[in-house]
Amino acid sequence: MSLEPSESTVIMMLIAILPIFITAYVLYLIRAVKGPTIADTVLAIDAFFFDVTVFVAVLGLIFKQPIMMVVAIVFALWAYALDVYVAKYLERGEMGD
Amino acid sequence: MISAILIYVGWALLVVGAIADLIAAIGLNRFPNFFVRLHAATIGTIGGAFYPLLGVALIAFGAEFLGPYRFFMGGAALVTAFLVLLLAPAGSHALARAAHRSKVVKPEPVVVDHLEEDGGGE
Repeated sequence: MSLEPSESTVIMMLIAILPIFITAYVLYLIRAVKGPTIADTVLAIDAFFFDVTVFVAVLGLIFKQPIMMVVAIVFALWAYALDVYVAKYLERGEMGD
Repeated sequence: MISAILIYVGWALLVVGAIADLIAAIGLNRFPNFFVRLHAATIGTIGGAFYPLLGVALIAFGAEFLGPYRFFMGGAALVTAFLVLLLAPAGSHALARAAHRSKVVKPEPVVVDHLEEDGGGE
């Protein structure tokens, strides 16, 4: 008897998680559209993109594409860059040199 | 045997992360103002992104059907998890500080604001 799950079992286990993530994304986007201030929008977009990182990584496992993990790293860095640029703009009124 | 343990532990981390993500998204919609919503956003980044990425890494290490590139996938997922762990709190902190100092967001209800009295941390 083998405890190890088969390939189709693992793929099904991964696919079963995706609806929870998609529900969370819709809720994040509702907050991003509603605002009411610029800081709320940026905070929602920030959390949204950190979770898109996870989504892309899980899709990489499902489709067996190693290159999608590289995309996940870029998403994480992009969300941080958005945070820092908006913070800089709010504080000083310019984007910096 | 060891790969079965890796897959199940990784999947458990993914489930915990998905639930934390959903809770954070609900909280982001329910909380009253920006400084309270920061709390929900922290759940969404550490609980909803760091844990699932660790889970993805464990599944990639354990799932042998992914082929020889599975160690690359697991390693990249670990690096991403570490970056999220470092960058998400730093970004949230920078945004909160900027929002307070530029007075874009009014902190209310407020009892005492020491940061305001100190000149915004100058």
